[in-house]
Amino acid sequence: MSDIRLERVTKRFGQTEVLHGIDLAAASGEFVVLLGPSGCGKSTMLRLVAGLESVTTGRVLIGGEDVTERSPAARRLSMVFQSYALFPHLDVAENIVFGLRVRRVAAADRAARLRRVAAMVGLAHLLDRKPAQLSGGQRQRVALARAIIAEHPICLMDEPLSNLDAKLRHEMRIEIRALQQSLGMTVVYVTHDQTEAMSMADRVMLMRDGRVEQVGTPDELYQRPATTFTAEFIGAPPMNILTPSGAGWAEREPDHAPLPAAASGARVGIRPEDIALADHGLPVRLHAADYLGADSIVTARVGDQEVVVRVPGRLRVRGGETAHLTWASEAVHAFDATSGRRIEASETQ
Amino acid sequence: MSRRALVHVYGWLLLTPAAILLVAFTHYPTVTTVVQSLFSTGSATRPSRFVGLDNYRFMLDDEVFWKVLWNNLWYALGTIPASIALAILMAVWVNRAIPARGLVRMAYFTPTVLPMIAVANIWLFFYTPDIGLIDQVLGAFGIPAHNWLGDPATVLGCIIVMTVWKEAGFFMIFYLAALQTLPPELEEAARVEGAGRWYFFRRVTFPLLMPTTLFVLINAVMNSFKLVDHLFILTKGGPDNASSLLLYYIYEVAFSFFDEAYAATLTVVLLGALAAIALAQFLLLERRIHYR
Ligand SMILES: Nc1ncnc2c1ncn2[C@@H]1O[C@H](COP(=O)(O)OP(=O)(O)OP(=O)(O)O)[C@@H](O)[C@H]1O
Ligand SMILES: [Mg+2]
Repeated sequence: MSDIRLERVTKRFGQTEVLHGIDLAAASGEFVVLLGPSGCGKSTMLRLVAGLESVTTGRVLIGGEDVTERSPAARRLSMVFQSYALFPHLDVAENIVFGLRVRRVAAADRAARLRRVAAMVGLAHLLDRKPAQLSGGQRQRVALARAIIAEHPICLMDEPLSNLDAKLRHEMRIEIRALQQSLGMTVVYVTHDQTEAMSMADRVMLMRDGRVEQVGTPDELYQRPATTFTAEFIGAPPMNILTPSGAGWAEREPDHAPLPAAASGARVGIRPEDIALADHGLPVRLHAADYLGADSIVTARVGDQEVVVRVPGRLRVRGGETAHLTWASEAVHAFDATSGRRIEASETQ
Repeated sequence: MSRRALVHVYGWLLLTPAAILLVAFTHYPTVTTVVQSLFSTGSATRPSRFVGLDNYRFMLDDEVFWKVLWNNLWYALGTIPASIALAILMAVWVNRAIPARGLVRMAYFTPTVLPMIAVANIWLFFYTPDIGLIDQVLGAFGIPAHNWLGDPATVLGCIIVMTVWKEAGFFMIFYLAALQTLPPELEEAARVEGAGRWYFFRRVTFPLLMPTTLFVLINAVMNSFKLVDHLFILTKGGPDNASSLLLYYIYEVAFSFFDEAYAATLTVVLLGALAAIALAQFLLLERRIHYR
């Protein structure tokens, strides 16, 4: 059994508390992503699971056993570091089998496992190179190989792709996910990149300032954000959060730009991809357009509020044109104006 | 003048001050020393004349020369490994999060800041028979007093201990600097794999410190031939040359016996030995060191 559970975990460095009572449950074989802005405590949390830091209060359980007081090695897990943490003086093969040597695995077994793992991550031809002679992507693979050769059921990864370029990152995302599924590993993966979270995770745990903001599948976070923070964090470009009153909103045509009944006094969220330009709806003034190839990101203004709209193809905007925005009633999310919490609304006005 | 020539002139002008100093104070004296070693020492009645390798032949028959050479060898063997090992140990120790870390680092570094003469004076107090610190402490346990610096059997050992005390703190600074460039994730990665502290030191830290070790080793070897200040205070090479080192002997020959030619001969041997050691270290160790 390789499920991970954190129970009401807090962590304090000196006087500052950086984690304020976190609960986490990762089922065996699940890919859980810890997502959140920089400094929210993702790495700290991962290090608590690894045992590299000790919890201030709370418990860490792995496979149902309390491991709070156990050393990292006794927790039987692997870890991939953001900086890869490869040993610069050892060649690729020695880097990969480092842990096997520590645990005195027999030479024949070691060689066989090395061959298998090297083939799995495509490093077979680079085994006698030093890390300095490898590209970033290849180093990443060495770190990955070192993690999976241990055959531990749990793998922790702290922003393993953040040093790679966009194309390589995309490839590695797919590879890591495929490896995780074929090996049946439980993975806790830290990132601040919501695209990574959305594309890899079984479950995403969104964090904010040392607290859990929302836990759910990528779909749940996207479709039903529990707070404006989640709404703005998930999706690119982020969801528009608007206050539906004041100049411009008075001329809104409700049939084409519906708002929920709960919206009076609340704030509404509409994703850029759910809005279209039309002849009727909410009158706006176009401001600028960013052409991205398949679509354009158009910035428009209602009064002094900015609305971002994703439109297919290329749209030329000189600035100052008037247009109308339209959307479906299901596309509108309502949030409490003060707490930012989601308001469940089934009716539209 | 063409642009190219101007660049050359400019380059030479920049080099000149350093070159003048180097030639005047290093190259020229070296050459004259070699030349001098081939002549006899002149006196009022007998002018200096060319004697070929006579001085070197005399040297091979000189018992004192062999004695100080052996002393120097034992001195090097006694001080270098011990001070390097101690330096690494202290560096690893003060690199960790220990209370009052800054203070401990300072304390270890203090011997280095002190001039060798001052250090020798401190240790003279330790070694003094009867009233010295060592005899006082040993006396408390009923062990009889001993003339540490007066006994040919213990004098070199005493000098070695003092030198290790003085040098280890200096080398520690280099190791500490090197340790701080090692990323902490390396240790964390090793800990997750289950490596103990000693295993990690042996397989990772020590190999990664090798460039520093080479640098420190060369310095230590040079120092073991170069540093003789303490002999002036502690023993003057005695008793019976039991603590004399090559450079101190050269000093004696030149300025006590006024035999310049023989001093020049010994100097050439010392220079040759140092050059050979430095070369050997580079050639042998270079290939086995990982530079980042
Ligand atoms: N050893 C430490 N001592 C004191 N404060 C620390 C320590 N480690 C982390 N912190 C603080 O804890 C908070 C969370 O840090 P953490 O590294 O977990 O953030 P993160 O979410 O991983 O951020 P990033 O995305 O930038 O890596 C930060 O405010 C940081 O300053
Ligand atoms: Mg981090």
